[in-house]
Amino acid sequence: MEVNITKQSKEVVVCLIGRMDTPAAQEVAPQLEALEEDARGTIVLDCKDLTYISSSGLRIFLTLRKAAAEKGGKIIVRSINDEIRSVFMMTGFLNLFEIE
Amino acid sequence: MLLIAVAALTLEATSLLQNYFTREGLKEEAQARASGQLEATRLQIVDATHQAEAAVRNTIWIARWCLNYLDSLPLVASRLVEDNPTVMGSTVALVPNYSRRRPLYAPYAYRLADTIAMKSLATQEYNYPTQPWFTRPLELDRGFWSEPYLDTGGGDIVMTTYSIPIKDLHGKQAAVLTADISLKWLAELIGSSQVYPNSLEVVVSRDGRVLISNPDGDITIKTLDEVAAIVDDTPSFARLVAEMRADHSGSIQIEDDGKLNHVFYAPVEQTGWSMAIVVPDDEIYGSMRRVRLIERLLQLLGLGMLIMILRITAKNQMKYHKMNEKKERMESELRIGRDIQMSMIPNTFPPFPERDEIDLAACLIPAKEVGGDLYDFFIRDNKLFFCIGDVSGKGVPASLVMAVTRSLFRSISAHEKSPQRIVTMMNEAMAEMNENNMFVTFFLGILDLETGHMRYCNAGHNPPLILSDRLRTLDVVPNLPLGVICQMAFQEQETDMLYNDTLLLYTDGLNEAVNSKDEEFTMERVEAAFQKHCSANEHLETMKEAVSSFVGNAPQSDDLTMLFIHYMNDTQPYASERHLILHNDIQQIPQLASFVETIAAEMKIEQNMAMGLNLALEEAVTNVILYAYPPGSDGLVDIEAIMRKGQLDFIITDSGVPFDPTQKPEVDITASLDERPIGGLGIHLVRQLMDSVSYRREDGKNILTLIKMI
Repeated sequence: MEVNITKQSKEVVVCLIGRMDTPAAQEVAPQLEALEEDARGTIVLDCKDLTYISSSGLRIFLTLRKAAAEKGGKIIVRSINDEIRSVFMMTGFLNLFEIE
Repeated sequence: MLLIAVAALTLEATSLLQNYFTREGLKEEAQARASGQLEATRLQIVDATHQAEAAVRNTIWIARWCLNYLDSLPLVASRLVEDNPTVMGSTVALVPNYSRRRPLYAPYAYRLADTIAMKSLATQEYNYPTQPWFTRPLELDRGFWSEPYLDTGGGDIVMTTYSIPIKDLHGKQAAVLTADISLKWLAELIGSSQVYPNSLEVVVSRDGRVLISNPDGDITIKTLDEVAAIVDDTPSFARLVAEMRADHSGSIQIEDDGKLNHVFYAPVEQTGWSMAIVVPDDEIYGSMRRVRLIERLLQLLGLGMLIMILRITAKNQMKYHKMNEKKERMESELRIGRDIQMSMIPNTFPPFPERDEIDLAACLIPAKEVGGDLYDFFIRDNKLFFCIGDVSGKGVPASLVMAVTRSLFRSISAHEKSPQRIVTMMNEAMAEMNENNMFVTFFLGILDLETGHMRYCNAGHNPPLILSDRLRTLDVVPNLPLGVICQMAFQEQETDMLYNDTLLLYTDGLNEAVNSKDEEFTMERVEAAFQKHCSANEHLETMKEAVSSFVGNAPQSDDLTMLFIHYMNDTQPYASERHLILHNDIQQIPQLASFVETIAAEMKIEQNMAMGLNLALEEAVTNVILYAYPPGSDGLVDIEAIMRKGQLDFIITDSGVPFDPTQKPEVDITASLDERPIGGLGIHLVRQLMDSVSYRREDGKNILTLIKMI
């Protein structure tokens, strides 16, 4: 999978592209965990092109979410597809994240 | 006076006569000694060269296989060196441009101190395709012994190289396999066998290099010209050289330094060498001159000579006796080997008279020697486990390997049900103990008698034929034979047998059966005799008849083994199965995804549910991959999918530490952010996505069953 991070003045936009299965999540984890430093502000996780996510990916989402809560920042999950939405529902993530 | 004269004359005449006869006797004795010694040395040389040739020939087979796996050629060479103490170095050199990827390729393994080092011979300065060891065997199309040479690289050892052409599976010359043999044994041999204190033994090679034994047990090499230059009697020497080159045996007298020498010579088969013993005349007749005047002593000497001759004769007889004994013992060993071999394989047919759904017929007809073919089968858990194999090489060693193969098959498949795992474990066991470069081509299948589903794994064996609505060759990944390389990853395949299908497994003794015109039976003839549906036994008899009428009176060249399996379960398969085996490597997860997608497509499962299945499987399998086995160790995960109407089961099996994921507490998805733990989502998702999740521990394995109603 691919991760594109664009830092703008107000927010950091993270485009997640492709399948986020366990090996992919392990590969991109360092890049995403580094975003904890930006967790004071707003981080947008753009999931327009994210086709699949497994629990290792969800873990990274949750870690970021916790860091943001601690530092007073905000995580926005943008444009998830129906399949991922149902995964979010099953895991209670719909209640934990702000979904656009 | 007259009396004295007559007496003296008589005495002189007697003395002369006695002298003459003694001389003749001594000459005969010397000849007997020399020829006995020549024969003994010759036999030892032939024996040693046979050993070296056998080592190389045993490797041809695997080298031929490895032509498809060029990266494993260095391993073949180093293995040959490692396993044969007299082999100093070895290479498998490819015919130029045989491989497009590697136009020139000759990995060379050689002894360096106590280890085996590798280097490439495909260098510009060496230019291996021009070397005689490479060109000659290809021209001759058979094995070739090089001239002895002094190897200056490895500590001045006299060496000779045996090289043999390798043909690929299409019969095209592909490479040359070589073994550099140290001739130290030869030095020891000719150094230790002096018939007379000052006799000299020499070996002359095909191109006229003379190997001379020194008293210190070493050998020096001289050219014939160098030797000719120091020999006085040039014409006799030339005659000797001509005789030796013509592979004759006999004796000749040569004068050198004013002294007469007797040279006895004989050829050494295989190598193209000839050997000779040089005995100074003094050694034979010197003693006689001193006793010439003392006739009594002459008689004593005659007596001594008689004893000598008797001893030599006795010695020779003992040698023959020993050889006969050895031969008899070997013959009885062969007989015992054959009996054991025959008693190991199932030989009662029909083997399962109580079963309607399966019928088998088989035969194993060994050629003259005991052979290395095998077949075996048994039923466990309503599944027919069956196999066929062909051990490389012949004789008692092959039959022993066959016995080992058969018992490994039995013991491993008693508790394993994946052909890939059984074959992998057999390979590990055999590769580890394989010190003689013996290999086994092997095919293993497991037929579910209820569903007709067959899982199989091939290890370099001929692909079986299957007679269904038409005759086809079973789609088979070749893989490598058993015992070649540790850690070989074998690929498993699967197919479904339908009602009335017949499977034919065979060894190459069938398609390569040879008639008196040296023609092979060929697969075309095999297929022609395997067209009509009938019982397994009728199939067997038809094929046997076809082969024997083709072969006629020609002697059987190889073991002939066939196994027919006739499947006759007419109930529709109620389920079909798919299998996937992964290593505990997280990078293999994408393979799992495509496996699940294929099944979903086959069962026409809609997109959303397919992704759910994918996710559940990934979570369950990831758990095993990451936690079942100790870090750094290799382990497997077996995933079995059973597709039924309206239901899909996944059975995930591993042999790791006991772990029941269903015992993990539920994640509270309504908990607030602060209270939400990071982990535990995986098994939660599995529970959410599947209709049933159950765990059991059985035979040291974790078995997790996931069921989804479709």
